[in-house]
Formats: sequence, structure tokens, C-alpha cells
Amino acid sequence: MEDNSQWQPRIVGFLCKWCSYAGADLTGTSRKKYPANLTILKVPCSGRIDPLFIMKGLQMGFDGVMVSGCHPGDCHYQTGNYRARRRLALTKKFLEYMGVPEERVQASWVSASEGAKFAQVVVDVVENIKAVGPNSLFSEEG
Amino acid sequence: METELCNEAGRLLEEGAVDYVIGFAAGSLKFTTTPLITSDKNDTVNLVNNRFITNNLAKYLLEIKGRVGIIAKGCDSRSIVSLIQDKQVCREDIVIIGIPCAGLIDLAKVEKLVGKDRDLIDDINIADDKAVITIDGKKKGFEARQVLFDHCLSCEYPVPREYDVLIESPVNKIRDDEAGKKKIRELQKMTPERRWAYWKEQFKQCIRCYACREVCPACFCERCFVEESQPRWISPAPQWQDNLVFQVIRALHVAGRCTDCGECERVCPQNIPLRSMSAEMCDLVEELFDYKTGLDKSALPLMTSYEPVEAEGLIR
Repeated sequence: MEDNSQWQPRIVGFLCKWCSYAGADLTGTSRKKYPANLTILKVPCSGRIDPLFIMKGLQMGFDGVMVSGCHPGDCHYQTGNYRARRRLALTKKFLEYMGVPEERVQASWVSASEGAKFAQVVVDVVENIKAVGPNSLFSEEG
Repeated sequence: METELCNEAGRLLEEGAVDYVIGFAAGSLKFTTTPLITSDKNDTVNLVNNRFITNNLAKYLLEIKGRVGIIAKGCDSRSIVSLIQDKQVCREDIVIIGIPCAGLIDLAKVEKLVGKDRDLIDDINIADDKAVITIDGKKKGFEARQVLFDHCLSCEYPVPREYDVLIESPVNKIRDDEAGKKKIRELQKMTPERRWAYWKEQFKQCIRCYACREVCPACFCERCFVEESQPRWISPAPQWQDNLVFQVIRALHVAGRCTDCGECERVCPQNIPLRSMSAEMCDLVEELFDYKTGLDKSALPLMTSYEPVEAEGLIR
């Protein structure tokens, strides 16, 4: 067993530019601290998040994938997040069936005013992913 | 029933109601059929209806232009409805000749059951719930459920619901969903690690021939993501990691369009149990969104619609 005590998970986060990305900004401007494990990618809408992005994230070796968008009813484009919700729900359940621990893909709704929630979400995501350990799904031996 | 089918198809061509008829003809090998696409009414005498009409003919509607008469069993008709929902075909342009499906025979199961290659089998016959296999003049009795495809055991709609003409024909009454989903249940009982290891082994076999995609009526993208080059999502070389990504994404792309017709698994030259993915996806779609493919041609496609409240508990 290798020593994982120093291990920090790498997480890729797809954030909607109208809500969650602005929420993440607010976290920063209000000087709230959250773990630095997250690499943020800005997308125009949670509806832009293709399940392929999630798969590629895992294949590229990220230990977890976080996706976040506007709360239901708040989509800048009216329905993008509702469509995202169907896609994400199926992706999560199907990946679980294939054998990907559910913790590796985490979805949340964070609005532009929820800086504190964003920080808490990242803390929880990191904690959950630490619990399942490094991602060796796509490694040759793993 | 075959005569009625031939007559109906011939009549459609003769009257000029359609330009083409798509159906099944006897294959060049024993116990096989091949799709028959014709504009000549004299060809329609070659149409067959038996227990080996495996192809999902809805696929050909995407390629044939003009008015088309299509012979459809339960799963084909649902695929056609799904294509209408996705605006890939026009209901007005097609005449659906529905044939109730009696359940199709899985030759691989038969071969395993009798321990003989299909060439050495003289005859396979099913009456009600009994199957009789004749080898060297000797008859052997089995349960019909032992020789039917898994997806036929799980089939809920052997009789087409969308049709213009329905031909009288025996219907598959053997429904045993648990038997049809035995492999899936076994997987569900495993730990996630074992499941992943299982699929990893399966996808090491994949040679990326894309037979699954080519045969699937739900796979109608003109440009598949696997062939995109900027970005190149997955390598064209068959590495198990990319094979797995391909198949997971394919399953998600056809979610709400897949009718569990089982064609992907049947055509796989490497015998990858692809139906264990597609049937599970159908179950998830039903469980999460109370949606079944191809039942209502006026419904919005699954992935373009939503309910205000659904899939609770998956997103915080």
C-alpha cells in the first residue's frame, strides 16, 4: 500500500458562467477560503456540460469531476439546467452501474449569490473524493 | 401469414403508395435472414416472417429517400416512432406493415444448448413454450425460453403499437424479465471495483469495428464524436480506455431512443455484452423519468424535455 497521507485529489469543475462561476468569484471577493484542489473550467451554461467532458476528466486522471449550474428555474437561457439535470442524472447513475464510485462525479446548484455555499460544496466534494482515494480507473493496472 | 405480408407489400408497390418496401428475405446461410429493400413488386414474394428476423429495419429509413413501406415488429415500430419524435423521418412518408413478433431465436444460445455448430443443426422449431431442435434426424425438446434472445424474454411490446396495417401472426407470450436481465442483476450484485474490472476486460476485446453503431437505428448522427479531430476525443486505435468511453457515451447518446432491440450485442463480433449496458440504460430512463421509448410519436424526445421537479437527490 502506497502512502496516501500526503495525497491531495485533483478535481476538475465545470461551472456555469452565470451562476456557479460568479458564485465562485464571490467566494474569492468575500475572502472565503476553500480547498485549492479544484481546477475550474467556465462553461456558458450547465446545459453545455457534455457527459463526454465528465468521462474525459476521469480518463485524464482527475480524481473527481464537479459540475455546477444555476438552481432549477434560474437558468439564464430558461431551460439549460433542466436539460442538464436529465443528462447528469443519467450519467451519474449509469457510471455508477459501470463501476465508477458515485463520489467521483458530483453535481450541485450554486447561484451567483451563494459564495458561502460554493466554498462548502468544494469542501464536501474534496472530502468525499478523499474518501474514495486516487482515481486509477483508467490506469493500465488499476 | 407470410402470404398476407407479401400481398400487402406487393399491393403497396403496385398501387404506387410507396416507392420502396423494406422487409426480410431468407439469408444465404441457414437460420438467417437478410434485409430486403426493393422497388420491384415481383421481389415481394421473397419476403419472409420467421423467428430469425433479427435486424431492426428502422435503421434503413434514415438512408432511403422517398415513400417507404416498412415491415416492423414490436421493437422496430418503437424505433420508428422514436425517429419520428426526433424528426428524422416523417410519419406521412412511411407505411408501417406491423407484424406481431413471436420472439426471435438466439442461435448462439441454441449452439451452446446442443453443443453443436449451427451448420450441423437441421431444424429449430418453437410451438407455444416448447422448442424442438432436430439434429441428424433426432428431435430434442427444450423450453422455448432457453433459445430466445434475452431481449425477447424482456420484451414488453411484441405487437407493434404504431402501424398502418397489422398482419395476423402469433405473438410472443413468454415474458420473463428476470431471466432476460440475469446478467445485469449479477453485475448489480458486484462491488463497483468488480464491475469496473468486468467492463475493462470486456472492452479489451473491442476492435472498434463500429458494427454496434452502424446497426443501431438510434445512432443517426451524421458525424459521430469518435471521428471528430478537433478535439480528438478518443483515439481511433482500439485501446480499452477509449473503447469504454466510446460505449458509455454511445449509451448516453441513445438514452430515450434505445428500444432494447438487442442488435448491438447480436452484431458484435467480439461478443461484448452490450445489451447489459443498453437494457440497464432503458431501466434507468424509466426509473428516473418514467419514460419508455417509442410509445408516443407526439411526445418530445426524452433529452429535449424535462419536468420541473425530477431526479431528486442526485444534485445537491
